[in-house]
Amino acid sequence: MIESLFQIERDANRDSVIHRIDARVKIAIAFAAIIALVAVPYSTMIYTVGAIFFAFFCILWCFTGLSPLVFVKRALAIIPLWGVIIFFQIFLKNKYYTTYDVVLSLPFGINIYAQSIEFAFILLVKFAVCISFIILLSSTTKMQDMLEGGARMGLPAEFALALGMMIRYLFVFGYMFRKMNETLKTKCFDAFDRHLSYRYRLRQLGYMIGTMFIRSYEQGERVYTSMLCRGYGRESFLFVERKSLKGPEWAFLSFSLLFIIVVPVAVWFGQYRFF
Amino acid sequence: MHIPDAFIPIWQGAIYWIIALVFIALALRWAKNEMNEEKLPLVAVLAAGIFALQSFNLPVSMGTSGHLVGGALAAIILGSPFAAIFILTLVLIVQAILFGDGGITVLGTNIINMGVIGGFVGFYSFKGLMGVTKSMPVSVFLAAWLACLIPALACAVEMFLAGTFPLTEGLVAMGIYHAIIGVIEGIVTVAAIYLITTARPDLVDIGVKTPSGA
Repeated sequence: MIESLFQIERDANRDSVIHRIDARVKIAIAFAAIIALVAVPYSTMIYTVGAIFFAFFCILWCFTGLSPLVFVKRALAIIPLWGVIIFFQIFLKNKYYTTYDVVLSLPFGINIYAQSIEFAFILLVKFAVCISFIILLSSTTKMQDMLEGGARMGLPAEFALALGMMIRYLFVFGYMFRKMNETLKTKCFDAFDRHLSYRYRLRQLGYMIGTMFIRSYEQGERVYTSMLCRGYGRESFLFVERKSLKGPEWAFLSFSLLFIIVVPVAVWFGQYRFF
Repeated sequence: MHIPDAFIPIWQGAIYWIIALVFIALALRWAKNEMNEEKLPLVAVLAAGIFALQSFNLPVSMGTSGHLVGGALAAIILGSPFAAIFILTLVLIVQAILFGDGGITVLGTNIINMGVIGGFVGFYSFKGLMGVTKSMPVSVFLAAWLACLIPALACAVEMFLAGTFPLTEGLVAMGIYHAIIGVIEGIVTVAAIYLITTARPDLVDIGVKTPSGA
């Protein structure tokens, strides 16, 4: 994850219509879409809602100027992990169905149920579309902009300050991690080498983690000392300039929120049911 | 252990959010009282360090995933379970928003598991064990092991209540795997605390203070 940090920040630093939109608008739209998707009951109506939301996401992604491969790579890094749990749903009964029809019987009394397959698909659609909006948000918004957007939306000052510093340290950690990995490689150390004693390998890894921590801390401490020299004090907090949303941003936000609310409600009433 | 969106119904997610907000408010009070100029970089670097530790996701049997938690490390170094809540909240926000690791509607649930349960179990089991064993490495190891295992079991219970995973299978899968992951977590926590107390003893506050903020 720490390695992909650099790629995400590179993507976020590109320029496009979506990249230029205020972080607050993107945060609000992404969160609203996720809440709406999660609020849809575990029923097949999620197929329609999910398809419409995903189409909305695709339109927005087209305006980011980012390759679809960026999205696919990031989605593939997240989805398989929980995709396995979703896959296992096909063997399990849950409280959302009363009757179960066996589709396939396997040895050891394991059955695959039609309703469980349906539930697994429902989970997959919800999960995948939610993740898509998070990928859109993080691929088009710089961390610093996200932090400022959060602070403008009411994130407590203590959190904003600590988050700001944490983000800096994340990159320091990333660089330290790379450097120490290279150092270990030049020494031909391999943590999975069975010829080395397990105790020795653990000790080396423990030292690596501890050294990474201390070196990052000391590097950050130097930055922090320079901050103190420039007048930082206990009562100082991250300065976030007041900034109003522009007309087109208000229009885009209003349209998107309306869309996000209307689609599930409309599908709920069955007016636009496609599947 | 990072539950994603969709795995917990919205109303249950809202309940967990409300509970988490109470603890976040207490953690903010800790931050206001305790986080001075010296501690702020430590809090930030611990958050980044725990973020790095949690990056190593390992697949668990029955489809669950396992990774180090870091709640005990934060609570022990900063001498308060509220420090763990504060730090884990930062970590989980960044993970959820940037990487999609853990959901937005279930962020409260994840904060309860890793921050609240992990922090309290880690800190108080460390304090209790220190009184009994008088050995820092043994107490840290066991506290970190418990702080990894118990949040995982809580996660299994929450998934059962949500109706997305059966209780017995979830407890067995999460329990067994996190009992193993907990050993690694224990070793890493002991190594990190040992190295920090040796190289920079000024940074560590090994539970000397009573936890403030509550």
